[in-house]
Amino acid sequence: MQYGRFLLRRVFHSLFVIWGAATVVFLLRFITPGDPVTALAPPDAGDEVRAALERRLGLDDPIHVQYFEYITDLMVGDFGNSMEVLDRSVLDWIFWTRFLRSLELAISATILAIVIAIPLGVVSARRRHTPADYSATLFSLGGISTPNFWLGLMLILLIAVPVGFIPTGTPGPLLHEAVGDLFAGDPGTLGDWLRFMFLPALTLGTYFTALITRLTRSGMLEEIGKAYVKACRAKGLPETLTMYRHVLRNTLIPIVTILGLQLGTLIGGAIITETVFEWNGLGQLLIERINARDWTMIQGIVIIIAIGFVTINTVVDLLYAYLDPRVMEE
Amino acid sequence: MGEPILRVEDLTTRFFTEEGQINAVEGVSFDVEPGEVFGIVGESGSGKSVTALSLVDLVESPGRITNGSVWFREPALAARIREDDPDTAAADGEMVDLRRLDDNERRALRGTEFAMIFQDPMSSFNPSITVGTQIAEAVEVQRRATANPRAVRSRTQGFGLLKFLTTSMVPTVDYVSEESRDRAVELLDTVGIPDPASRATEYPHQFSGGMLQRAMIAQALATEPSVLVADEPTTALDVTIQAQILNTLGDLQAEYGMTTVLITHNLGVIARMCDRVGVMYAGEFVERGSLEDLFERPSHPYTEGLLGSSPALDNGDRRLQPIAGNVPSLLDEEMPDRCYFADRCPKAMSECLDKPPEFDADGSEGHRARCYLARDAYDPGDALPEGYFDES
Amino acid sequence: MISDRVKSSLKREFYQSRAAQVGVVLIAIILFTAVFAPMLTPHDPTTQRVGTGNGSALTDLPPLSPIPGHEFVGTRDQTMVNQTTGEFVNVQQEVPANASHPLGTNERGQDILSRIIYGARVSMLVGLLGTALATLLGVPYGLVAGYFGGRLDDTLMRAADVMLAFPSLVLAIALIGVFRDTSFHTAELPDPFVAAAQGDLVPNILIPRAEHVASMPETTTFPVTVTLVVALVNWVWFARITRGEALSIRAEEYVTAARSLGASDVTILRQHILPNAITPIIVLATIQVAFIILLEASLSFLGFSGTNLTWGADIQQGRDGLSSGKWWVSTMPGLAIIAAVVGVNLLGDWLRDALDPGIQGESGGI
Repeated sequence: MQYGRFLLRRVFHSLFVIWGAATVVFLLRFITPGDPVTALAPPDAGDEVRAALERRLGLDDPIHVQYFEYITDLMVGDFGNSMEVLDRSVLDWIFWTRFLRSLELAISATILAIVIAIPLGVVSARRRHTPADYSATLFSLGGISTPNFWLGLMLILLIAVPVGFIPTGTPGPLLHEAVGDLFAGDPGTLGDWLRFMFLPALTLGTYFTALITRLTRSGMLEEIGKAYVKACRAKGLPETLTMYRHVLRNTLIPIVTILGLQLGTLIGGAIITETVFEWNGLGQLLIERINARDWTMIQGIVIIIAIGFVTINTVVDLLYAYLDPRVMEE
Repeated sequence: MGEPILRVEDLTTRFFTEEGQINAVEGVSFDVEPGEVFGIVGESGSGKSVTALSLVDLVESPGRITNGSVWFREPALAARIREDDPDTAAADGEMVDLRRLDDNERRALRGTEFAMIFQDPMSSFNPSITVGTQIAEAVEVQRRATANPRAVRSRTQGFGLLKFLTTSMVPTVDYVSEESRDRAVELLDTVGIPDPASRATEYPHQFSGGMLQRAMIAQALATEPSVLVADEPTTALDVTIQAQILNTLGDLQAEYGMTTVLITHNLGVIARMCDRVGVMYAGEFVERGSLEDLFERPSHPYTEGLLGSSPALDNGDRRLQPIAGNVPSLLDEEMPDRCYFADRCPKAMSECLDKPPEFDADGSEGHRARCYLARDAYDPGDALPEGYFDES
Repeated sequence: MISDRVKSSLKREFYQSRAAQVGVVLIAIILFTAVFAPMLTPHDPTTQRVGTGNGSALTDLPPLSPIPGHEFVGTRDQTMVNQTTGEFVNVQQEVPANASHPLGTNERGQDILSRIIYGARVSMLVGLLGTALATLLGVPYGLVAGYFGGRLDDTLMRAADVMLAFPSLVLAIALIGVFRDTSFHTAELPDPFVAAAQGDLVPNILIPRAEHVASMPETTTFPVTVTLVVALVNWVWFARITRGEALSIRAEEYVTAARSLGASDVTILRQHILPNAITPIIVLATIQVAFIILLEASLSFLGFSGTNLTWGADIQQGRDGLSSGKWWVSTMPGLAIIAAVVGVNLLGDWLRDALDPGIQGESGGI
């Protein structure tokens, strides 16, 4: 019951935030200097052509009418057409190939980061002041301080070039294609997928690995010092059980929230990583459309990213409240 | 007097901090008889809590037990150890030395033979796990240990990262069994928590301090321990609740016949609960003996001072006499080579500049005091001049 | 605002922590480099030497290598003893060239070390100014929201939450898309050292390497838009942390006491709330400098910064050469970024450990 109310409130809040984000994006276009009609119309276009273009883009209405139409269109899922390629729908361009490529990259990087970082953080905290701890600490300091585009280039230089396989240019297969082929008896596609995914995921995941290692280590150290750990030991609970069932669990609860917020960094990092590896996803599309000054596309991409980001954060909050019910009582 | 169940000899625990070495517990010795309540009393910072933690081997870095033995009567284990190694120093008659046991054996005793109650119930429960589950864990530890006493490792097996992940995702795969959960509810009932079945599913923050301390007692009982170490069990509670908790503790102690080591700074609690008492000062036992010895015939001026500064012990309207001065530093380099209490002692004599050993004192057989006054009468002519310690 | 206790805590932590010392040294070096860039560079960072006109082309020289055709700078006379006869003889000896481009050159023949030294200017300026701007925007916002509370707080923080709906780089790129066509996208900042060396106001003897300094670029391109954008993207964090602090401090009794004595809201905010909230703000500001340096590098790597004399842009420039063995062009500026960010992060750890007793927890008491 209490959880239901909390859930409702969180969902309502996130809808509000998405509406706010859409408004901000709408306003961005209006403070943009330069008139899209001038940018789009052929240089020798007469007034008639320009007016037609303006009408087509819906720019001849007063701003509040435009805003109202924009929001109502968004609510029914109509993001309009590209301003450059006029007959191409924004959503068609984004979904699904571009979107899936970015999603696969982000998820792979996150999984890689979690799988490496949590054991590393645990070992680092439990064997404090040992060479293992110092190496983990040094790694995490370096990881959060290295720009990932540079890291990507270095991985290409040190791994891809000597191996002779540079995972750029030709995009690899999508995961569902790879899995489909696997069930059809051809594991080669999955191999390709892994080959293409490995370096970009490593590049994108390093910052997160370092961050989670750092957070896990300091969180564990703080948690180990608490009285309930002593109480666990006093009641004879085996050490591994104390560490994983109690300490790590309590350490991870706040980390999940931090990671939800840091996901923004991951998405930003994905844009850069896509550029380095010429990964044909949303990030590269955004850069390309910015350079083409294609405002409807830019709006569409930014809103889709914001919706994804807000949704994930809401899910994380709900999960947090489920794991630690104290959160709901503010 | 029978055989003691616990015999502590020359226990020494030190902390090695950046500021220097801290002598928290220094050569403490005492016996505890089966079924009795042994009290340890002292000001905060006197080392009594560290003594409690040393008994159950829970001293953590930078602290370490550097010397001494904690003998515990456990005939079966003693016999088994001797079977494995006839010349072992870890067993003596029916007693085993906890400090000489290997880590697994020692850990096995903790939570089965020894249980501990902590000062602050709110921080001694994991805030994100229900109280019932936490008590059930203690039951489960005990169950697994009795099911297979020799294979200590069976209790730990198979709980690593993988298991953590599976139990997080599939809550039904759990360390704690249904039987243990049921037993936890029974225990909550035993310690007087109303509606135990539904309280078991609540989180620590939903409990009041007194209720949570009862839950902690239930958790300690879960292991059916031979020895219960209670470290300031009532300090964090309201005065009215304190009395209830002490009653509960007293009843259960009598019912289960648990030997109890009770740590407190409150002489009222000592008078009410204990059979025998040790008085700690600056990491040492300055006086120990029966309750009567200490209250009727205190031999150490510090014990006298403690009695004089406590309100409401029979003689209601007398003026309280605070002990002058401050609790001494336990930092090794600042500890003088004399009686540690001399600078606060109203009866300090020139003799006190040599560190006194323990002397037998008047009263029952085990009454001992670390003071020359236990041997000689006070001689005012030999007293140190007033302000003698002020310069140093 | 900074008490003696805080100072002594900072000092103690500094002497105890090797990491803090490394951080301070790194930042000191980079700031020094950024300020005195014209005096420290071996070459003009912008001079391209691709043609064959005035000497040979100097493109793509690897680190530490002398210039082709200039392996020796000349000859010198040296007196030697002939071992067999015992006579003194004069011989001519060739003098090897020092590596005049210690970190090599890029495909345009520009000296990489000089570019890294000048790149520190942009990085540090954007990092510090961007953080300062974000602080100026976020702290008053958070103070007002937290102190007055209620509906005002709700409204302000909801608006701030909307900002958080955008990943910072996405928002930054979108904003740059908006602003880059404006006239203030970049600004040319005159270099006082170069001006001094070229003019007559200061005797040249006071300026080290005056002749060299006079030949350096007269202005540094400062990316105004990028600085504004990083501040716009990051102020929310300051608002949130300040609001949280203000919210808890306003419930303290000394604030109630001040209010009962008739202190105005402005006085209370200035004298009680802000000084007590300053510690987490300082720690956040340090972390933000590191974050903004990385953000600036990313934006200039993507080509959005408006100037190409930055670390990020140099890394972008060396990208194509990576697969043909020219590894140094991208590698070197990256190391500079890492040094700067590691330095700031170590500084942040130091401040956090020294200023926030809550997070210390390293030494377990009895």
